[in-house]
Amino acid sequence: MKMIQARNLYKSFGTHRVLDNVNFEVNIGEVVVIIGPSGSGKSTLLRCFNGLEEIDSGVITIEGESFAHKDPGKKDKVTSKEKKEIAVKLGMVFQHFNLFPHKTVLENVIEAPITVSKINKSEAVSMAEALLDKVGLSDKKNSFPSKISGGQKQRVAIARALGMNPDIMLFDEPTSSLDPELVGEVQKVIIDLAREKMTMLIVTHEMRFAEEVADRIIFMDEGKIIADEKPDRIFNNPEHPRIKTFIDKITMRQSNRQE
Amino acid sequence: MENYIQYVIDSSVFILKGSVLTIQLYFVTILFSIPLGISLALMKISKYRFLRISIGFYTWVFRGTPLLLQLFFCYYGLSIFGINLPAFTAAALTFTINYSAYLTEIYRAGIESVDKGQYEASKALNMNYFQTMKRIILPQVVRRTIPATCNEAITLVKDTALVVVIGMGDLLRSAKELFSRDFAITPFAIAAVVYLLMTTVIVYFFRKIEIKYSIYE
Ligand SMILES: Nc1ncnc2c1ncn2[C@@H]1O[C@H](COP(=O)(O)OP(=O)(O)OP(=O)(O)O)[C@@H](O)[C@H]1O
Ligand SMILES: [Mg+2]
Repeated sequence: MKMIQARNLYKSFGTHRVLDNVNFEVNIGEVVVIIGPSGSGKSTLLRCFNGLEEIDSGVITIEGESFAHKDPGKKDKVTSKEKKEIAVKLGMVFQHFNLFPHKTVLENVIEAPITVSKINKSEAVSMAEALLDKVGLSDKKNSFPSKISGGQKQRVAIARALGMNPDIMLFDEPTSSLDPELVGEVQKVIIDLAREKMTMLIVTHEMRFAEEVADRIIFMDEGKIIADEKPDRIFNNPEHPRIKTFIDKITMRQSNRQE
Repeated sequence: MENYIQYVIDSSVFILKGSVLTIQLYFVTILFSIPLGISLALMKISKYRFLRISIGFYTWVFRGTPLLLQLFFCYYGLSIFGINLPAFTAAALTFTINYSAYLTEIYRAGIESVDKGQYEASKALNMNYFQTMKRIILPQVVRRTIPATCNEAITLVKDTALVVVIGMGDLLRSAKELFSRDFAITPFAIAAVVYLLMTTVIVYFFRKIEIKYSIYE
């Protein structure tokens, strides 16, 4: 069984086609990184997997169950109730953290387990404490998000998503809005998750991180997947000249920044 | 001098008695118009066109015409159709509907000012619409709209004086009665002090909530 299967996904915003016949799969325990130029549809693709965007047509299967099944111009064959049941299996981490500012770190993590999963509060709290410990933030549990750094915020956001006990984690540029010195601490948490065989789909512009964490790399351009390969092939011997140009440009920028 | 002090005390008692009605009207209006304003604001941004348009019409009418006219309409106007509301009911109804219109717009703007990332995070955590609104969006909206709500709450103190025109005996009317009887300025001064006291208490109260809610900033 595959964790995620995507078949013939199409999506347009108005007349602008953002996903153009996208096909790929993610195996259980696999980490797939999506790279590609700005506007190529990476975020949109990710967002289609947890219902933040709807595809125009195609089939999405999560752990063998249909999450979306749409013929062009027709209604989705999957009901929204069925979608909701499947969406629980996916956790998402956003570029801008999107923590709940009026809740403490701990409250951010226990919110959905209590209100959505209906587990009792003491159970939720001990689970949240364990997760915060895992991301190295036990000492911040009573702080408000405004009082912690960006890297800490993103780690809380990861703990919050893990609190719903997902089978798949989606990351949309988890380190793009962080100061360079804070990027590492967030990447480390993600790499730890990869070691635990969490299935992950990650959009990132950090090439070194991509190379380290990915089992496979997908390169997107203008809504199409133009490569889906092992990292060393993408980085060392890409088939497509477009990929080489992109990686050269971006790694040059990143090494400049480091100097 | 002693006579004068006695006069001030007697007048104050008389005016305070009148202010009981002012305070009742005040609380009835606040108690109903805040939840009503929040509910209508949610409807005004709902996906149902019919709701959006009807509520848009409602806020347009009630913010665009004088409260005094609305009061006349409700008390005198409706009696033409055989609906004779007691003065207090008419006043409470008019004030609630009028203030809800203003609050609807305040809360609507407040809801729209919440970052869409908050909705996305809630959705990604599988929270439904009601859970998202109740637990995530509205608490932030309430915090952000405290200053605007406080302004409305202060304006309302003074607007209650309008009920004089439908013959209700409120704070101001008691003062006016004393003035007519004694031809002295003191009753008006006392009335001013009572109004100031009320607004001061309200400002203090809102300040307290603002501090309570601002811990997370
Ligand atoms: N809600 C929307 N309405 C209209 N157009 C949109 C919307 N969301 C995205 N787009 C457009 O779709 C295209 C793909 O956007 P997307 O955010 O998926 O790109 P991306 O690959 O994630 O880019 P980036 O690296 O900049 O994040 C872009 O041209 C974007 O402007
Ligand atoms: Mg993006």
